[in-house]
Amino acid sequence: MSTGQLLRRAVRRHRGRMSLGVLLMSLHQATEAAVPVTIGVFVDKAVATGDVEPLIWCVLMLAALFAVLSNAWKLGARLIVRAIEYETHQLRLEIARRVLDPRGQRTGLRSGELLSIATSDAEKTALVMRAVSIGCAASTALIVASVSLLLVDVPLGIGVLIGVPLLVLGIQALSPLLTRHTSTQQEAVAQTTALATDLVGGLRTLRGIGAQHNAAARYRQSSQTTLRATLRAVSTAGLQDGVSTALSGLLLAAVAGVSGWFALNGRISIGELIAVVGLAQFIAEPVGTLGYASQVLATARASAGRLASVLSSPPLVATGTATAVDPAKPLLQLERVSYKTLVDVDLTLLAGETVGVLCYDPRDADALLAVVGGRASEYTGAVRVGGVPIDELDIDALRDTVLLEQHDTDLFEGTLRSNLLVESPSLERVMTAAGAADLIDELDRPLADRGQALSGGQRQRLGLARALLASPPLLVLHDPSTAVDAVTEELLAEGLAEVRSGLTTLVLTSSPALLGKMDRVVVLADGVVVTEGLHAELAESDAAYQEAVLR
Amino acid sequence: MNLLPVAGPRATWALLWSEIRKLPGLSIVAAVVITGGSAAGLVAPWALGALVDDISSGADRSAIVKVVLLIGGAALLAGLLTALGVMLVARVGETVLARIREKVLDRALQLPAPVLDKVRTGDLLSRVGDDVATVASALTDIGPMLLGAALTIILTAGGMFALDWRLGLAGLLALPMYILALRWYLPRSAPYYAKERIAMGDRSEAIIASLRGSATVRAYRLEDVQLAKIDATSATARDLSIKVFRIFSFFSSRINHAEFVGLGGILVAGFFLVRGDLVTIGAVTAAALYFHRLFNPIGAVMMLFDEVQTAAAGMARLAGVLEMEQISSPPPGPGPADASLELIGIGHAYDGPLVVDEVSLRLEPGERVALVGASGAGKTTLAALAAGVLTPTAGVVRLGGVDVQALGEDRTRSQVALLSQEVHVFSGALADDVRLARLDATDGEVESALERVGALAWVRALPDGLETVVGEQGHQLTGAQSQQLAFARLVLADPPVAVLDEATAEAGSAGARSLERAAVAATEGRTTLIVAHRLTQAQQADRIVVLDGGRVVESGTHDGLLAAGGRYALLWRSWTGFKPGGPEGRTTPASAST
Repeated sequence: MSTGQLLRRAVRRHRGRMSLGVLLMSLHQATEAAVPVTIGVFVDKAVATGDVEPLIWCVLMLAALFAVLSNAWKLGARLIVRAIEYETHQLRLEIARRVLDPRGQRTGLRSGELLSIATSDAEKTALVMRAVSIGCAASTALIVASVSLLLVDVPLGIGVLIGVPLLVLGIQALSPLLTRHTSTQQEAVAQTTALATDLVGGLRTLRGIGAQHNAAARYRQSSQTTLRATLRAVSTAGLQDGVSTALSGLLLAAVAGVSGWFALNGRISIGELIAVVGLAQFIAEPVGTLGYASQVLATARASAGRLASVLSSPPLVATGTATAVDPAKPLLQLERVSYKTLVDVDLTLLAGETVGVLCYDPRDADALLAVVGGRASEYTGAVRVGGVPIDELDIDALRDTVLLEQHDTDLFEGTLRSNLLVESPSLERVMTAAGAADLIDELDRPLADRGQALSGGQRQRLGLARALLASPPLLVLHDPSTAVDAVTEELLAEGLAEVRSGLTTLVLTSSPALLGKMDRVVVLADGVVVTEGLHAELAESDAAYQEAVLR
Repeated sequence: MNLLPVAGPRATWALLWSEIRKLPGLSIVAAVVITGGSAAGLVAPWALGALVDDISSGADRSAIVKVVLLIGGAALLAGLLTALGVMLVARVGETVLARIREKVLDRALQLPAPVLDKVRTGDLLSRVGDDVATVASALTDIGPMLLGAALTIILTAGGMFALDWRLGLAGLLALPMYILALRWYLPRSAPYYAKERIAMGDRSEAIIASLRGSATVRAYRLEDVQLAKIDATSATARDLSIKVFRIFSFFSSRINHAEFVGLGGILVAGFFLVRGDLVTIGAVTAAALYFHRLFNPIGAVMMLFDEVQTAAAGMARLAGVLEMEQISSPPPGPGPADASLELIGIGHAYDGPLVVDEVSLRLEPGERVALVGASGAGKTTLAALAAGVLTPTAGVVRLGGVDVQALGEDRTRSQVALLSQEVHVFSGALADDVRLARLDATDGEVESALERVGALAWVRALPDGLETVVGEQGHQLTGAQSQQLAFARLVLADPPVAVLDEATAEAGSAGARSLERAAVAATEGRTTLIVAHRLTQAQQADRIVVLDGGRVVESGTHDGLLAAGGRYALLWRSWTGFKPGGPEGRTTPASAST
């Protein structure tokens, strides 16, 4: 989706609210334009004559005008704001949905930048509706003012009608420059924001080595760069403000001169003179508003560009259409698979089998996990899940079959219980199996801030309990016990074997406790399967294996 | 978990004012220029009023030429001063904001550990991210307009009184109505603005949790759950914003009523004053035009009140961060005499039972001590206490004979480093990541630090070598590589004492051995306290301390403890599957399942 399409869709999606809102806002601006005319009439008919009866009529006229003016804005603006808020909400959800797409995303953006896009850019993009509504309303005001001017005096009206568009065009000429500077400035702000969130995210790491001052110094540098970019953008905006003030003032001078001359000649009345100069003066405001609307539009456009680049970024992997796997076929089968560091890897998991994989090089483990998890985009060879090539499998069917739990466990706000995702009568049994018996009493403890306050081992054991409770046909675990002490690791290895008995499990680990419980162990070195067998045999006979598992 | 504090209006203003005062010359020039720009805008209505009188009294063309020249000249001047004023005011405002955001980040980075553990990272992130962005955009986008409008209102009111005091008074009839409108609006809207800010905080918390944990979200098919959470929090924020605006729209109606009263008052008063021959029609015209000219600036101030309040709330949240407890720096005293680390009668509790109880431990300079114990034995807490990151509830930690409390955060940190379980790769060039430990390190020093921890080979093999962009969306490093970077940072920071807390735990499987070598290389010559998960780390240590239930239950060398046949010997057997007591503690390998 292009920037333009995104902006147009925003307006179209809320066309009901938008059209009624714009109509009411325009009515409001028309009545605003009528105010100077009314002042002129008031002076002409009442103040200049000194008669009481026209005074009463004039006061009533003024009151009626203000009643319409006030209500039109109140109702119109509410509609527009409602449209903007709903659009912002929708955009935010679209971004979130895109980022959380099961097929992954390749925007190449940091989560700080994505956060800024999902919050501030979504808000700014929806402001296109504000730009449209105030732009339309300001145009209406200009039209009403022009018509009033033409009714007073045709040549005078024509003069203003030619002068004003020239004025607007003159101001618009500066807009591309402003858009460019604004866009650079917004990028600088986004980068500085991303740096701040990155540094705060790594705060504990920084503090450990006393590098907070250095981090602050780096931020200061970035902040100063942003300051310079902002000042450049603001200077352009200031120039535009100044030019627009000067030009509209000059237009007013010209109108005052001509209409003053006409009034001196008796061609128009004093009241009409007031109305004309009042209108000409009033015109400066909608012209200024148009300038402002173009600034808002420039901002919205810049934000929409970033939003569009995320929304239209291709997914990391393609998803297939097959929704069922064949239970008779091996649950996982890799045939001559090469991906990143992997070379011609063959691996077959039969139903009910528990297989350990020991990778001498951790890059092999990462590559294997990407392939098994369906996150590898360009591999050669065949990967089949239940007989179906993994690319042809629907992403949800794949995730129903294969569950991958990493060793760095992500937790979410809520309680420990809510993080386990499944309410099950065997909750306590599974927690014990995962070596997390000590956490059973704390299940309802609120967990703030993604569980950062828990220790690495606690997080890991919760992650394992969560994976076991999900009870997937094929569970893939990556180093489930790296942050767990030796005693607990032994318990956990036994518990894992017990809970997963009858189900299929693939464990990538170098823990002897875990490997010892496996039906067989496959060893990968330099991307190649080098040996396979029982842990006990391998530990007895293979020197390299011994070195790797005994740490 | 607590939300961070929010500063009161007085403290917020004080912060702004103190920053503005640091730019005295620029601020004064900016104020004069922008005021001049607004004043030049007053000329036109006054000249138009004069024109009406001139025409009523039948003046000649030269009067008209004079008025045209006056309005034209004032327009050019107003344009020039406005452009200049906006630039100057922005220079003041943006510089102040840049300094405040730098201060806020600095303070966020320096929060004392006990405070840091109690705040929500999401809230802290939204302060340094969202709030800074909100205030910045308000300042850049609406600041100049708001200031111009406020000045116009003040100057125009003065201009009306200069025309005729009675017309000025008639216009002032609107003032009580404006005030009443504000008094109606402010107390009603304020609680909603506060609720709106909290709702926005919840919203970004929901979004950041989903973004950070996106791998798990995908694996467990939690997209719908997380999206529902984002949907719910975002919808709450949205509905509050709409509600706030509804109140604002009623407020705006009241503003229109005030405008009607003011304008009607001037015209009706003018009617009687002209009838009584007290003022000219021109003066009434000018006064009406003056007042009419105020509609938009007042409207702008009111329209922007929303954004001003949002920005003010954001600013108060920034000022709130600056109000937080700071790490107090004690008076300068003697520095550490040597690289020894001593814990004396240490106890610690987190609002509950003691996690560490009566631990005393002395590490001689250069000594390597390993902490061993089951989960929950208090190893991590003890490590944090030893590194001076946590303050013990009982007992004293001494570095080189000096109490860390007397040493203060900065001097403690230059003496002792803590490598915690959290491994964070900072976004940006890899060399810059390592250089965070010492900004002035040369390329050569960065390379030799990487060399020492055995990372230089793979770093050189990266697409752009040392300049490869790493971090969240840069080149993805493995757990072991990230950990090696942490070691390289430690080498560059070069503290005499190092505390490693499960530093190699995150490495995963096979890289562990090379990481252990890296850990030894990085801590060579340093007094080292290491939390050992892999018992080989304990085996390499000069001394092993076994913790259980927060107490030291055993202490000695690897061989000594194995021979003693106590807790450690049990752990070693359970972990390796070996029977203890063989040559160097190793006998024939056996299956771990036996």
